[in-house]
Amino acid sequence: MAKDIYIGEVSENKEIRPDYYLMKVKLPLSFGNPLPGQFVMIRIAGLHDPFLSRPISIYSFERAKSALIIALLYRVVGKGTQILSGLIKGSQVEIHGPLGGGFEWPEQKKQVVFIAGGIGIAPLSLMAETLCRDACLPRESMTFYIGAQTAQSVIGLERLNDLCYNVHVCTDDGSLGRKGLVTGLFQKDIKKYPADATMVYACGPKGMVRALSKLFRGSAFQCQVSLEERMACATGACMGCVVAVRGEQGALAYKRVCADGPVFDLQQVIWDET
Amino acid sequence: MEVNIAGLRLKNPVMTASGTFGYGEEYSDYIDLNELGGIVVKGLSLKPRLGNPPPRIMETTGGMLNAVGLQNVGVDLFIEQKLPFLRSFDVAVIANIYGESEAEYAQVARALSRASGVHALEVNVSCPNVKKGGLSFGADPKAAASVTRRVRAETDLPVIVKLTPNVTDIAAVARAVEEAGADAVSLINTLTGLSVDLTTRGPHLKNITGGLSGPAIKPVALRMVWQVAQSVDIPVIGMGGILDAEDALEFMVVGATAVQVGTANFINPRATVEIIGGMEHYLKVHQIKDVREMIGTFNVA
Repeated sequence: MAKDIYIGEVSENKEIRPDYYLMKVKLPLSFGNPLPGQFVMIRIAGLHDPFLSRPISIYSFERAKSALIIALLYRVVGKGTQILSGLIKGSQVEIHGPLGGGFEWPEQKKQVVFIAGGIGIAPLSLMAETLCRDACLPRESMTFYIGAQTAQSVIGLERLNDLCYNVHVCTDDGSLGRKGLVTGLFQKDIKKYPADATMVYACGPKGMVRALSKLFRGSAFQCQVSLEERMACATGACMGCVVAVRGEQGALAYKRVCADGPVFDLQQVIWDET
Repeated sequence: MEVNIAGLRLKNPVMTASGTFGYGEEYSDYIDLNELGGIVVKGLSLKPRLGNPPPRIMETTGGMLNAVGLQNVGVDLFIEQKLPFLRSFDVAVIANIYGESEAEYAQVARALSRASGVHALEVNVSCPNVKKGGLSFGADPKAAASVTRRVRAETDLPVIVKLTPNVTDIAAVARAVEEAGADAVSLINTLTGLSVDLTTRGPHLKNITGGLSGPAIKPVALRMVWQVAQSVDIPVIGMGGILDAEDALEFMVVGATAVQVGTANFINPRATVEIIGGMEHYLKVHQIKDVREMIGTFNVA
Protein backbone atom coordinates (compact mmCIF):
# COMPACT_ATOMS: atom_id res chain seq x y z
CA MET A 1 0.00 0.00 0.00
CA ALA A 2 2.29 2.66 -1.31
CA LYS A 3 -0.15 5.51 -1.61
CA ASP A 4 -2.03 7.07 1.23
CA ILE A 5 -4.03 9.93 2.56
CA TYR A 6 -1.98 12.01 4.94
CA ILE A 7 -3.09 14.40 7.63
CA GLY A 8 -1.07 17.54 7.14
CA GLU A 9 -0.69 20.53 9.39
CA VAL A 10 -0.80 23.98 7.90
CA SER A 11 2.35 25.75 9.04
CA GLU A 12 1.82 28.87 6.98
CA ASN A 13 -0.94 30.19 4.72
CA LYS A 14 -0.55 33.74 3.55
CA GLU A 15 -1.80 35.98 0.80
CA ILE A 16 1.38 36.85 -1.01
CA ARG A 17 -0.40 38.87 -3.71
CA PRO A 18 -4.06 39.81 -4.03
CA ASP A 19 -5.92 36.46 -4.39
CA TYR A 20 -2.66 34.46 -4.55
CA TYR A 21 -1.83 32.34 -1.52
CA LEU A 22 1.14 30.27 -0.49
CA MET A 23 0.30 27.45 1.88
CA LYS A 24 2.91 25.35 3.60
CA VAL A 25 1.82 21.96 4.89
CA LYS A 26 3.79 19.78 7.27
CA LEU A 27 3.61 16.09 6.38
CA PRO A 28 5.21 12.92 7.68
CA LEU A 29 8.49 12.00 5.99
CA SER A 30 6.80 8.91 4.58
CA PHE A 31 5.08 11.22 2.08
CA GLY A 32 8.36 11.11 0.17
CA ASN A 33 9.98 13.69 -2.04
CA PRO A 34 7.55 14.82 -4.73
CA LEU A 35 8.66 15.04 -8.34
CA PRO A 36 8.33 18.34 -10.16
CA GLY A 37 4.97 18.34 -11.95
CA GLN A 38 3.27 16.16 -9.36
CA PHE A 39 0.25 17.43 -7.46
CA VAL A 40 -1.76 16.74 -4.35
CA MET A 41 -5.47 16.59 -3.64
CA ILE A 42 -6.28 18.71 -0.63
CA ARG A 43 -9.45 18.86 1.45
CA ILE A 44 -10.63 19.74 4.90
CA ALA A 45 -11.54 16.56 6.75
CA GLY A 46 -15.27 16.10 7.30
CA LEU A 47 -16.27 19.02 5.10
CA HIS A 48 -18.71 18.00 2.37
CA ASP A 49 -19.42 21.32 0.77
CA PRO A 50 -17.42 21.76 -1.36
CA PHE A 51 -17.61 18.03 -1.86
CA LEU A 52 -14.52 17.21 -3.87
CA SER A 53 -10.86 17.68 -3.01
CA ARG A 54 -8.89 20.29 -4.90
CA PRO A 55 -5.90 19.41 -7.08
CA ILE A 56 -2.93 21.73 -6.53
CA SER A 57 0.58 21.30 -7.91
CA ILE A 58 3.55 21.30 -5.66
CA TYR A 59 5.47 24.59 -5.79
CA SER A 60 8.37 23.57 -3.59
CA PHE A 61 9.24 21.28 -0.73
CA GLU A 62 11.80 21.01 2.00
CA ARG A 63 12.89 18.08 4.10
CA ALA A 64 13.21 18.86 7.75
CA LYS A 65 14.41 16.44 10.39
CA SER A 66 11.06 14.98 11.27
CA ALA A 67 8.76 16.28 8.57
CA LEU A 68 8.41 17.08 4.94
CA ILE A 69 7.02 20.52 4.22
CA ILE A 70 5.34 21.12 0.90
CA ALA A 71 4.43 24.55 -0.45
CA LEU A 72 1.28 24.98 -2.50
CA LEU A 73 0.72 28.10 -4.53
CA TYR A 74 -2.92 28.75 -5.34
CA ARG A 75 -5.23 31.45 -6.56
CA VAL A 76 -8.65 31.94 -5.03
CA VAL A 77 -11.07 31.20 -7.85
CA GLY A 78 -14.07 29.58 -6.17
CA LYS A 79 -15.58 28.19 -3.03
CA GLY A 80 -12.92 25.52 -2.45
CA THR A 81 -9.92 27.79 -2.70
CA GLN A 82 -11.80 30.48 -0.74
CA ILE A 83 -12.15 28.09 2.18
CA LEU A 84 -8.52 27.00 1.87
CA SER A 85 -7.44 30.63 2.03
CA GLY A 86 -9.12 30.98 5.41
CA LEU A 87 -7.14 28.19 7.08
CA ILE A 88 -4.94 29.34 9.89
CA LYS A 89 -1.62 27.99 11.12
CA GLY A 90 -2.13 24.68 12.90
CA SER A 91 -5.21 23.71 10.87
CA GLN A 92 -5.39 20.14 9.68
CA VAL A 93 -5.88 19.22 6.05
CA GLU A 94 -6.14 15.89 4.27
CA ILE A 95 -3.48 15.51 1.63
CA HIS A 96 -3.67 12.80 -0.98
CA GLY A 97 -0.47 12.40 -2.93
CA PRO A 98 2.00 12.98 -4.40
CA LEU A 99 -0.02 12.18 -7.51
CA GLY A 100 0.53 11.87 -11.23
CA GLY A 101 3.72 11.64 -13.19
CA GLY A 102 6.18 14.52 -13.22
CA PHE A 103 8.08 16.27 -15.97
CA GLU A 104 10.78 14.27 -17.69
CA TRP A 105 14.24 15.40 -18.58
CA PRO A 106 15.69 13.96 -21.79
CA GLU A 107 19.42 14.31 -21.19
CA GLN A 108 20.36 14.86 -24.80
CA LYS A 109 18.66 18.26 -24.75
CA LYS A 110 20.92 21.28 -24.42
CA GLN A 111 18.48 24.11 -23.84
CA VAL A 112 15.49 24.48 -21.56
CA VAL A 113 12.66 26.92 -22.03
CA PHE A 114 9.91 27.38 -19.46
CA ILE A 115 6.68 29.07 -20.45
CA ALA A 116 4.35 29.90 -17.59
CA GLY A 117 1.02 31.65 -17.56
CA GLY A 118 -0.40 32.85 -14.24
CA ILE A 119 -0.46 30.18 -11.56
CA GLY A 120 1.25 27.82 -14.03
CA ILE A 121 4.46 29.15 -12.56
CA ALA A 122 4.13 26.69 -9.65
CA PRO A 123 5.16 23.33 -11.13
CA LEU A 124 7.63 24.97 -13.53
CA SER A 125 9.51 26.69 -10.72
CA LEU A 126 10.03 23.36 -8.99
CA MET A 127 11.18 21.82 -12.27
CA ALA A 128 13.68 24.65 -12.85
CA GLU A 129 15.05 24.17 -9.36
CA THR A 130 15.32 20.42 -9.82
CA LEU A 131 17.12 20.69 -13.16
CA CYS A 132 19.62 23.12 -11.69
CA ARG A 133 20.32 20.82 -8.80
CA ASP A 134 19.99 17.28 -10.15
CA ALA A 135 20.73 17.62 -13.84
CA CYS A 136 23.41 20.20 -13.01
CA LEU A 137 22.21 22.37 -15.85
CA PRO A 138 24.00 25.69 -16.02
CA ARG A 139 21.92 28.84 -15.56
CA GLU A 140 22.86 29.88 -19.07
CA SER A 141 20.94 27.06 -20.66
CA MET A 142 17.64 27.82 -18.91
CA THR A 143 15.24 30.58 -19.95
CA PHE A 144 11.96 31.39 -18.28
CA TYR A 145 9.03 33.17 -19.87
CA ILE A 146 6.33 34.38 -17.50
CA GLY A 147 3.00 35.86 -18.41
CA ALA A 148 0.61 37.32 -15.88
CA GLN A 149 -2.32 39.70 -15.73
CA THR A 150 -0.53 42.43 -13.81
CA ALA A 151 2.75 43.04 -12.01
CA GLN A 152 0.92 42.01 -8.84
CA SER A 153 0.38 38.49 -10.11
CA VAL A 154 3.98 37.75 -11.10
CA ILE A 155 5.14 35.40 -8.40
CA GLY A 156 8.48 33.97 -7.32
CA LEU A 157 10.61 36.15 -9.59
CA GLU A 158 13.56 36.20 -7.17
CA ARG A 159 13.69 32.43 -7.04
CA LEU A 160 13.63 32.20 -10.85
CA ASN A 161 16.25 34.91 -11.32
CA ASP A 162 18.58 32.79 -9.22
CA LEU A 163 17.87 29.69 -11.28
CA CYS A 164 17.67 30.93 -14.84
CA TYR A 165 19.95 33.15 -16.86
CA ASN A 166 17.12 34.90 -18.61
CA VAL A 167 13.74 35.55 -17.09
CA HIS A 168 11.38 37.35 -19.45
CA VAL A 169 8.22 38.82 -18.03
CA CYS A 170 5.14 40.16 -19.71
CA THR A 171 1.81 41.33 -18.34
CA ASP A 172 -1.59 41.91 -19.88
CA ASP A 173 -1.54 45.57 -18.82
CA GLY A 174 2.19 46.21 -19.22
CA SER A 175 2.61 46.96 -15.51
CA LEU A 176 5.70 44.74 -15.47
CA GLY A 177 7.90 43.69 -18.35
CA ARG A 178 6.47 43.83 -21.84
CA LYS A 179 2.81 44.29 -22.51
CA GLY A 180 1.22 41.29 -24.17
CA LEU A 181 0.88 37.55 -24.03
CA VAL A 182 3.63 35.17 -22.99
CA THR A 183 3.23 33.12 -26.15
CA GLY A 184 3.93 36.24 -28.22
CA LEU A 185 6.96 37.01 -26.08
CA PHE A 186 8.36 33.55 -26.66
CA GLN A 187 7.49 33.60 -30.36
CA LYS A 188 9.73 36.64 -30.86
CA ASP A 189 12.67 34.62 -29.52
CA ILE A 190 11.83 31.25 -31.00
CA LYS A 191 14.58 31.39 -33.64
CA LYS A 192 17.20 31.64 -30.89
CA TYR A 193 16.51 28.07 -29.84
CA PRO A 194 17.59 25.00 -31.77
CA ALA A 195 14.28 23.18 -32.08
CA ASP A 196 15.57 19.61 -31.71
CA ALA A 197 17.95 20.41 -28.85
CA THR A 198 15.47 22.42 -26.79
CA MET A 199 13.08 21.08 -24.20
CA VAL A 200 10.08 23.26 -23.52
CA TYR A 201 8.09 22.96 -20.30
CA ALA A 202 4.79 24.77 -20.18
CA CYS A 203 1.92 25.33 -17.79
CA GLY A 204 -0.81 27.92 -17.88
CA PRO A 205 -4.36 28.71 -18.87
CA LYS A 206 -6.02 26.80 -21.71
CA GLY A 207 -5.75 29.73 -24.13
CA MET A 208 -1.98 29.88 -23.63
CA VAL A 209 -1.49 26.15 -24.04
CA ARG A 210 -3.69 26.08 -27.11
CA ALA A 211 -1.65 28.93 -28.68
CA LEU A 212 1.59 27.09 -27.91
CA SER A 213 0.19 23.98 -29.47
CA LYS A 214 -0.43 25.92 -32.68
CA LEU A 215 3.03 27.46 -32.54
CA PHE A 216 4.79 24.10 -32.22
CA ARG A 217 2.65 22.18 -34.66
CA GLY A 218 4.86 20.49 -37.21
CA SER A 219 8.06 21.76 -35.58
CA ALA A 220 10.82 19.71 -33.97
CA PHE A 221 10.26 21.34 -30.60
CA GLN A 222 9.37 18.95 -27.83
CA CYS A 223 7.04 20.46 -25.25
CA GLN A 224 5.88 18.89 -22.03
CA VAL A 225 2.78 20.59 -20.75
CA SER A 226 1.13 20.22 -17.38
CA LEU A 227 -2.64 20.28 -17.86
CA GLU A 228 -5.43 21.11 -15.49
CA GLU A 229 -8.96 19.67 -15.49
CA ARG A 230 -11.73 19.35 -12.96
CA MET A 231 -10.93 16.23 -10.99
CA ALA A 232 -12.81 13.89 -8.68
CA CYS A 233 -10.96 10.74 -7.59
CA ALA A 234 -7.35 11.45 -8.66
CA THR A 235 -6.70 7.70 -8.61
CA GLY A 236 -7.58 7.10 -12.25
CA ALA A 237 -10.88 5.40 -11.50
CA CYS A 238 -13.61 7.91 -12.29
CA MET A 239 -12.50 8.93 -15.81
CA GLY A 240 -13.72 12.45 -15.06
CA CYS A 241 -10.59 14.51 -15.79
CA VAL A 242 -9.82 13.36 -19.32
CA VAL A 243 -8.26 15.27 -22.19
CA ALA A 244 -8.31 14.33 -25.86
CA VAL A 245 -4.99 13.04 -27.15
CA ARG A 246 -3.71 11.13 -30.13
CA GLY A 247 -3.57 7.54 -29.00
CA GLU A 248 -2.32 4.47 -30.84
CA GLN A 249 -2.14 4.99 -34.60
CA GLY A 250 -3.10 8.62 -34.11
CA ALA A 251 -6.68 7.80 -33.14
CA LEU A 252 -8.51 9.98 -30.65
CA ALA A 253 -8.27 8.74 -27.09
CA TYR A 254 -9.29 10.25 -23.78
CA LYS A 255 -6.48 10.19 -21.25
CA ARG A 256 -6.83 10.93 -17.56
CA VAL A 257 -5.03 14.06 -16.36
CA CYS A 258 -4.70 12.58 -12.85
CA ALA A 259 -3.23 9.19 -13.72
CA ASP A 260 -1.88 9.47 -17.29
CA GLY A 261 -0.74 13.08 -16.72
CA PRO A 262 -0.85 15.77 -15.56
CA VAL A 263 2.18 16.18 -17.85
CA PHE A 264 1.52 15.44 -21.52
CA ASP A 265 3.46 15.78 -24.74
CA LEU A 266 1.86 18.90 -26.19
CA GLN A 267 2.13 17.54 -29.72
CA GLN A 268 -0.19 14.68 -28.70
CA VAL A 269 -2.95 16.86 -27.27
CA ILE A 270 -5.95 17.38 -29.53
CA TRP A 271 -7.59 20.75 -29.00
CA ASP A 272 -10.44 20.75 -31.47
CA GLU A 273 -12.16 17.96 -29.60
CA THR A 274 -12.33 19.69 -26.23
CA MET B 1 -20.94 -9.63 8.67
CA GLU B 2 -21.47 -12.18 5.93
CA VAL B 3 -24.44 -11.83 3.60
CA ASN B 4 -25.71 -13.85 0.69
CA ILE B 5 -27.08 -12.48 -2.58
CA ALA B 6 -28.68 -15.28 -4.58
CA GLY B 7 -25.88 -17.72 -3.82
CA LEU B 8 -23.17 -15.07 -4.03
CA ARG B 9 -21.44 -15.06 -0.67
CA LEU B 10 -20.10 -11.71 0.45
CA LYS B 11 -17.85 -11.61 3.50
CA ASN B 12 -19.51 -8.31 4.41
CA PRO B 13 -22.29 -6.23 2.84
CA VAL B 14 -20.01 -3.53 1.41
CA MET B 15 -19.28 -3.49 -2.31
CA THR B 16 -17.87 -0.81 -4.55
CA ALA B 17 -20.24 0.86 -7.00
CA SER B 18 -19.54 0.46 -10.68
CA GLY B 19 -17.70 3.34 -12.30
CA THR B 20 -16.25 4.62 -9.06
CA PHE B 21 -13.61 1.98 -8.46
CA GLY B 22 -12.12 1.37 -11.91
CA TYR B 23 -11.07 -2.27 -12.23
CA GLY B 24 -9.94 -2.51 -8.62
CA GLU B 25 -6.25 -1.98 -9.32
CA GLU B 26 -6.66 1.80 -9.07
CA TYR B 27 -7.41 1.41 -5.35
CA SER B 28 -5.13 -1.49 -4.47
CA ASP B 29 -2.41 0.87 -3.27
CA TYR B 30 -4.78 2.37 -0.72
CA ILE B 31 -6.70 -0.57 0.68
CA ASP B 32 -6.49 -4.33 0.90
CA LEU B 33 -9.06 -5.45 -1.67
CA ASN B 34 -9.48 -8.72 0.28
CA GLU B 35 -11.33 -6.77 2.96
CA LEU B 36 -14.18 -5.82 0.63
CA GLY B 37 -17.49 -7.63 0.38
CA GLY B 38 -17.36 -7.27 -3.38
CA ILE B 39 -15.90 -5.26 -6.22
CA VAL B 40 -18.22 -4.10 -8.97
CA VAL B 41 -16.03 -3.10 -11.89
CA LYS B 42 -16.53 -0.27 -14.35
CA GLY B 43 -19.32 -0.95 -16.87
CA LEU B 44 -18.12 -3.25 -19.65
CA SER B 45 -19.29 -3.14 -23.24
CA LEU B 46 -18.66 -5.52 -26.10
CA LYS B 47 -16.13 -3.21 -27.77
CA PRO B 48 -13.92 -0.61 -26.05
CA ARG B 49 -15.74 2.69 -25.63
CA LEU B 50 -14.17 6.12 -26.03
CA GLY B 51 -16.64 7.79 -23.69
CA ASN B 52 -17.98 11.32 -23.89
CA PRO B 53 -15.88 14.40 -24.68
CA PRO B 54 -14.79 16.51 -21.69
CA PRO B 55 -15.65 18.32 -19.50
CA ARG B 56 -17.26 15.28 -17.94
CA ILE B 57 -17.70 16.21 -14.31
CA MET B 58 -18.95 19.12 -12.25
CA GLU B 59 -19.10 19.48 -8.52
CA THR B 60 -22.50 20.35 -7.08
CA THR B 61 -23.67 21.00 -3.53
CA GLY B 62 -23.10 17.75 -1.63
CA GLY B 63 -22.20 15.79 -4.72
CA MET B 64 -21.22 15.85 -8.35
CA LEU B 65 -22.51 15.38 -11.87
CA ASN B 66 -20.77 13.05 -14.27
CA ALA B 67 -21.21 12.28 -17.94
CA VAL B 68 -18.33 9.90 -18.54
CA GLY B 69 -20.32 7.85 -21.04
CA LEU B 70 -18.98 4.43 -20.08
CA GLN B 71 -15.39 4.82 -21.27
CA ASN B 72 -14.05 1.29 -20.82
CA VAL B 73 -11.59 -1.20 -22.25
CA GLY B 74 -14.25 -3.58 -23.58
CA VAL B 75 -15.04 -7.06 -22.35
CA ASP B 76 -12.20 -8.90 -24.13
CA LEU B 77 -9.42 -6.66 -22.82
CA PHE B 78 -11.02 -6.77 -19.39
CA ILE B 79 -10.85 -10.54 -19.32
CA GLU B 80 -7.33 -10.58 -20.70
CA GLN B 81 -5.74 -7.70 -18.80
CA LYS B 82 -7.81 -6.72 -15.77
CA LEU B 83 -9.39 -9.93 -14.53
CA PRO B 84 -6.15 -11.84 -13.75
CA PHE B 85 -5.26 -9.13 -11.21
CA LEU B 86 -8.68 -9.37 -9.56
CA ARG B 87 -8.44 -13.17 -9.43
CA SER B 88 -5.47 -12.85 -7.10
CA PHE B 89 -7.78 -11.55 -4.36
CA ASP B 90 -10.27 -13.39 -2.21
CA VAL B 91 -13.14 -11.08 -3.05
CA ALA B 92 -16.39 -11.36 -5.00
CA VAL B 93 -15.97 -9.80 -8.42
CA ILE B 94 -19.14 -8.49 -10.03
CA ALA B 95 -18.93 -7.44 -13.67
CA ASN B 96 -21.20 -4.57 -14.62
CA ILE B 97 -22.33 -5.02 -18.21
CA TYR B 98 -23.70 -2.67 -20.79
CA GLY B 99 -24.91 -3.04 -24.37
CA GLU B 100 -26.31 -0.87 -27.10
CA SER B 101 -28.73 -3.66 -27.96
CA GLU B 102 -30.11 -6.75 -26.26
CA ALA B 103 -27.82 -8.87 -28.41
CA GLU B 104 -24.79 -6.97 -27.13
CA TYR B 105 -25.84 -7.45 -23.50
CA ALA B 106 -26.12 -11.16 -24.27
CA GLN B 107 -22.70 -11.34 -25.90
CA VAL B 108 -20.98 -9.52 -23.04
CA ALA B 109 -22.76 -11.76 -20.52
CA ARG B 110 -21.69 -14.88 -22.39
CA ALA B 111 -18.04 -13.82 -22.58
CA LEU B 112 -17.90 -13.03 -18.86
CA SER B 113 -19.67 -16.24 -17.87
CA ARG B 114 -16.95 -18.25 -19.59
CA ALA B 115 -14.16 -16.32 -17.90
CA SER B 116 -12.89 -17.53 -14.58
CA GLY B 117 -13.00 -15.07 -11.71
CA VAL B 118 -16.33 -13.34 -12.33
CA HIS B 119 -18.83 -14.19 -9.59
CA ALA B 120 -21.91 -12.26 -10.68
CA LEU B 121 -23.18 -9.92 -13.35
CA GLU B 122 -24.72 -6.54 -12.74
CA VAL B 123 -26.81 -5.46 -15.71
CA ASN B 124 -26.60 -1.73 -16.30
CA VAL B 125 -29.93 -0.62 -17.72
CA SER B 126 -29.62 2.74 -16.08
CA CYS B 127 -26.72 4.80 -17.43
CA PRO B 128 -28.09 8.28 -18.21
CA ASN B 129 -25.06 9.35 -20.24
CA VAL B 130 -25.11 7.15 -23.32
CA LYS B 131 -27.17 7.68 -26.45
CA LYS B 132 -28.06 4.04 -27.07
CA GLY B 133 -28.96 1.40 -24.53
CA GLY B 134 -28.57 2.20 -20.86
CA LEU B 135 -31.47 4.23 -19.60
CA SER B 136 -33.63 3.46 -22.62
CA PHE B 137 -33.84 -0.13 -21.37
CA GLY B 138 -34.14 0.68 -17.71
CA ALA B 139 -36.88 3.30 -17.88
CA ASP B 140 -39.45 0.89 -19.26
CA PRO B 141 -40.46 -2.21 -17.25
CA LYS B 142 -41.00 -4.28 -20.41
CA ALA B 143 -37.66 -3.37 -21.99
CA ALA B 144 -35.85 -3.95 -18.68
CA ALA B 145 -37.49 -7.35 -18.33
CA SER B 146 -36.60 -8.27 -21.87
CA VAL B 147 -32.88 -7.47 -21.38
CA THR B 148 -32.95 -9.37 -18.11
CA ARG B 149 -34.37 -12.47 -19.82
CA ARG B 150 -31.68 -12.33 -22.51
CA VAL B 151 -28.88 -12.09 -19.96
CA ARG B 152 -30.51 -14.72 -17.75
CA ALA B 153 -30.53 -17.15 -20.68
CA GLU B 154 -26.80 -16.64 -21.27
CA THR B 155 -25.42 -17.20 -17.81
CA ASP B 156 -25.49 -19.36 -14.69
CA LEU B 157 -24.00 -16.53 -12.66
CA PRO B 158 -26.26 -14.54 -10.33
CA VAL B 159 -27.82 -11.70 -12.30
CA ILE B 160 -28.21 -8.35 -10.57
CA VAL B 161 -30.13 -5.65 -12.43
CA LYS B 162 -29.11 -2.07 -11.68
CA LEU B 163 -32.08 0.26 -11.70
CA THR B 164 -32.43 3.90 -12.59
CA PRO B 165 -34.16 6.41 -10.34
CA ASN B 166 -35.19 8.43 -13.39
CA VAL B 167 -38.62 6.80 -13.55
CA THR B 168 -42.03 7.42 -12.06
CA ASP B 169 -42.39 3.99 -10.48
CA ILE B 170 -39.12 2.22 -9.74
CA ALA B 171 -40.92 -0.61 -7.95
CA ALA B 172 -42.71 -1.52 -11.18
CA VAL B 173 -39.37 -1.90 -12.98
CA ALA B 174 -38.03 -3.94 -10.06
CA ARG B 175 -41.01 -6.30 -10.19
CA ALA B 176 -40.65 -6.65 -13.95
CA VAL B 177 -37.01 -7.71 -13.79
CA GLU B 178 -37.72 -10.03 -10.87
CA GLU B 179 -40.34 -11.81 -12.96
CA ALA B 180 -37.86 -11.95 -15.85
CA GLY B 181 -35.41 -13.90 -13.72
CA ALA B 182 -33.20 -11.35 -11.99
CA ASP B 183 -31.59 -12.72 -8.83
CA ALA B 184 -31.24 -9.30 -7.22
CA VAL B 185 -31.65 -5.62 -7.97
CA SER B 186 -29.25 -2.80 -7.17
CA LEU B 187 -30.31 0.83 -6.88
CA ILE B 188 -30.03 3.68 -7.40
CA ASN B 189 -27.95 4.70 -10.38
CA THR B 190 -27.41 8.45 -10.74
CA LEU B 191 -30.19 11.01 -11.04
CA THR B 192 -30.14 13.01 -14.26
CA GLY B 193 -29.12 16.58 -13.55
CA LEU B 194 -27.87 19.82 -15.06
CA SER B 195 -25.36 22.45 -14.01
CA VAL B 196 -25.36 25.91 -15.56
CA ASP B 197 -22.34 28.14 -16.05
CA LEU B 198 -23.74 31.63 -15.61
CA THR B 199 -20.71 33.27 -17.26
CA THR B 200 -21.26 31.52 -20.56
CA ARG B 201 -24.94 30.66 -19.94
CA GLY B 202 -24.02 27.23 -21.14
CA PRO B 203 -23.80 23.84 -19.43
CA HIS B 204 -20.77 22.91 -17.33
CA LEU B 205 -20.73 19.48 -19.01
CA LYS B 206 -20.09 18.92 -22.69
CA ASN B 207 -22.85 16.30 -22.62
CA ILE B 208 -25.15 19.04 -21.21
CA THR B 209 -26.76 16.71 -18.65
CA GLY B 210 -25.06 14.29 -16.30
CA GLY B 211 -25.77 11.86 -13.49
CA LEU B 212 -25.93 13.25 -9.97
CA SER B 213 -24.25 11.26 -7.21
CA GLY B 214 -22.96 11.84 -3.70
CA PRO B 215 -24.65 12.53 -0.36
CA ALA B 216 -27.10 14.93 -2.04
CA ILE B 217 -29.04 11.95 -3.43
CA LYS B 218 -29.13 9.78 -0.31
CA PRO B 219 -32.69 10.60 0.79
CA VAL B 220 -34.01 9.79 -2.68
CA ALA B 221 -32.04 6.54 -2.72
CA LEU B 222 -33.29 5.50 0.71
CA ARG B 223 -36.89 6.14 -0.30
CA MET B 224 -36.51 4.06 -3.46
CA VAL B 225 -34.71 1.17 -1.76
CA TRP B 226 -37.48 1.12 0.84
CA GLN B 227 -40.18 1.05 -1.85
CA VAL B 228 -38.46 -1.63 -3.91
CA ALA B 229 -37.65 -3.83 -0.90
CA GLN B 230 -41.37 -3.98 -0.11
CA SER B 231 -42.26 -4.84 -3.70
CA VAL B 232 -39.93 -7.72 -4.52
CA ASP B 233 -38.80 -10.96 -2.88
CA ILE B 234 -35.28 -10.95 -4.33
CA PRO B 235 -32.43 -9.24 -2.44
CA VAL B 236 -31.97 -5.51 -2.86
CA ILE B 237 -28.55 -3.86 -3.00
CA GLY B 238 -28.77 -0.24 -1.88
CA MET B 239 -26.64 2.69 -2.89
CA GLY B 240 -26.73 6.41 -3.33
CA GLY B 241 -24.62 8.86 -1.35
CA ILE B 242 -23.23 6.47 1.25
CA LEU B 243 -20.32 8.16 3.00
CA ASP B 244 -20.05 6.31 6.29
CA ALA B 245 -21.17 3.24 8.26
CA GLU B 246 -24.34 4.92 9.53
CA ASP B 247 -25.39 5.68 5.95
CA ALA B 248 -24.77 2.05 4.96
CA LEU B 249 -26.77 0.72 7.91
CA GLU B 250 -29.68 3.04 7.12
CA PHE B 251 -29.91 1.38 3.70
CA MET B 252 -29.97 -2.03 5.37
CA VAL B 253 -32.69 -0.91 7.77
CA VAL B 254 -34.96 0.06 4.87
CA GLY B 255 -34.43 -3.34 3.30
CA ALA B 256 -31.06 -3.62 1.56
CA THR B 257 -29.18 -6.90 2.01
CA ALA B 258 -25.96 -5.26 0.86
CA VAL B 259 -24.77 -1.81 -0.15
CA GLN B 260 -22.50 -0.23 -2.70
CA VAL B 261 -20.19 2.68 -1.99
CA GLY B 262 -19.52 4.95 -4.94
CA THR B 263 -18.70 8.63 -4.96
CA ALA B 264 -17.29 8.41 -1.42
CA ASN B 265 -14.28 6.60 -2.93
CA PHE B 266 -13.42 9.82 -4.76
CA ILE B 267 -13.01 11.93 -1.67
CA ASN B 268 -11.55 9.12 0.41
CA PRO B 269 -9.96 6.10 -1.29
CA ARG B 270 -10.23 4.24 2.01
CA ALA B 271 -13.98 4.91 2.36
CA THR B 272 -15.05 1.27 1.84
CA VAL B 273 -12.83 -0.27 4.48
CA GLU B 274 -13.60 2.54 6.91
CA ILE B 275 -17.31 1.87 6.40
CA ILE B 276 -16.79 -1.87 7.03
CA GLY B 277 -14.88 -1.07 10.21
CA GLY B 278 -17.57 1.37 11.27
CA MET B 279 -20.33 -1.17 10.73
CA GLU B 280 -18.50 -3.79 12.79
CA HIS B 281 -18.06 -1.23 15.53
CA TYR B 282 -21.76 -0.32 15.44
CA LEU B 283 -22.81 -3.96 15.72
CA LYS B 284 -20.46 -4.49 18.63
CA VAL B 285 -21.59 -1.41 20.52
CA HIS B 286 -25.24 -2.30 19.98
CA GLN B 287 -24.63 -5.99 20.74
CA ILE B 288 -25.96 -7.15 17.41
CA LYS B 289 -24.48 -10.53 16.51
CA ASP B 290 -25.25 -10.62 12.84
CA VAL B 291 -25.50 -7.74 10.43
CA ARG B 292 -28.45 -9.48 8.79
CA GLU B 293 -30.49 -8.62 11.87
CA MET B 294 -30.49 -5.04 10.57
CA ILE B 295 -32.10 -5.82 7.23
CA GLY B 296 -35.63 -4.53 6.75
CA THR B 297 -36.13 -3.44 10.35
CA PHE B 298 -37.45 -0.03 9.38
CA ASN B 299 -39.90 1.03 12.03
CA VAL B 300 -42.74 3.20 10.81
CA ALA B 301 -45.05 2.61 13.73
